[in-house]
Amino acid sequence: MGNCFPGLMHKINMSGIAKNRIQDETAFVLHSYPFRETSLVVEVFSRQHGRVPLVARGARRPRSALRGLLMSFQPLQLSWFGKHELRTLHSAEWQGGQPLLQGTALMCGFYLNELLLNLLARDDPHESLFDYYRLTLQRLVQEVDHAATLRCFEKHLLQELGYALLLEHEAGSSRPIVAERSYRYVLEHGAVPQSGQEGEGMTVSGKTLLDMAADDYSDASSAREGKQLMRMLLNHHLGGVVLHTRELIQDLRKFN
Amino acid sequence: MKTPSSLEELIQALRCLPGVGPKSAQRMAYHLLQRDRPGALQLSAALGQAVQNIRHCCKCNNFSEDDICGVCLAEGRDTSLLCVVEMPSDMLMMEQTQCFRGMYFVLMGRLSPLDGLGSRELPLERLVQRARELNSEVILATNFTVEGEATAHYLATLLRAQGVKVSRIARGLPVGGELEHVDSGTLAQAVLERREVQG
Ligand SMILES: [Zn+2]
Repeated sequence: MGNCFPGLMHKINMSGIAKNRIQDETAFVLHSYPFRETSLVVEVFSRQHGRVPLVARGARRPRSALRGLLMSFQPLQLSWFGKHELRTLHSAEWQGGQPLLQGTALMCGFYLNELLLNLLARDDPHESLFDYYRLTLQRLVQEVDHAATLRCFEKHLLQELGYALLLEHEAGSSRPIVAERSYRYVLEHGAVPQSGQEGEGMTVSGKTLLDMAADDYSDASSAREGKQLMRMLLNHHLGGVVLHTRELIQDLRKFN
Repeated sequence: MKTPSSLEELIQALRCLPGVGPKSAQRMAYHLLQRDRPGALQLSAALGQAVQNIRHCCKCNNFSEDDICGVCLAEGRDTSLLCVVEMPSDMLMMEQTQCFRGMYFVLMGRLSPLDGLGSRELPLERLVQRARELNSEVILATNFTVEGEATAHYLATLLRAQGVKVSRIARGLPVGGELEHVDSGTLAQAVLERREVQG
């Protein structure tokens, strides 16, 4: 078969080569698990290449330089190669600038990672989500109450995945949401004016929707309703996956 | 060529060991049968015996041949300190330092939410009970991995709610360590967790 698109062929080959070797990419470890006798599989979230699984050869050997380095919530410079789904980590360097997450902030960090592991497809780049993830980790270190930060991240995540929330207009119309009115938020549709008690979706006030649009959770009722709405939406997109970090965070709240 | 079924069974059985895939299992089986038959018999006897005799110490949860292990029974240990570690090997390391003469509690694991290992997988009720029974300070000596840190945070919150005094082992540069050769993460954290110089 003749190749009548030499330019196109060339492009495909080039991208093939580019895929084989990635140099000094900023990335975060989302999770890692043992692989073979002494290695580790590291699921990373990289800025330009999205979520990628990498084999860190020998990373479980006692004196491996990678052992302490491949830690979650720390920006790293990673290089890898390979053309199969599971690629090989070539080098890792500490980038620094992110204090370690501790206590509740650490639990929230696990929650972000669990969301990303369950909702991000592999090899799907999300640069702006990556930058927002990095910013979110920095916020978690600095603040005491993390609820607003988590809601903002959840909103960004859904937006990046193509499931943006409709918060300023009624579903399927240009009618603006009114703070004083009550709505029902319907999955894969949006907010419709509340009429009577019946109907699908979740009851939510106009003020909550507008506050969520503005990332403002200072109002207790907006914070509560915003959390419920996000949970309904995330559960829908998670398709039955149970978030273990959610259970841990709930446990911890009970102790306090 | 068909692998004899006893050999096949042995290879399968060896694969229950962590990190042992089909290739390694095959290598081990060949070695035992070809080069070390007495060793194989000894292994088989030891396995049988261990499974039969080893249980968890009812005080510290470590492996023990008796209801209460030697460390928990030993005279002269400081019962006002209870050190929590992830694995028996961690407890062994602590014992080797000879700096700690208190009591232990071995979790036999850690919290790892992303692996689905939650609080129900750890013997937490027994830990709380032991801390109250001794009325001791609890020293959290879980690893400084993100999972170890999450475990320490969870245990600290749980124990403090029960009125138990809790502390966490410190981290920093290795003894005899030179800044030039230490990894960046350790050095960065050592700067963040610096202490005022006294006296
Ligand atoms: Zn014991």
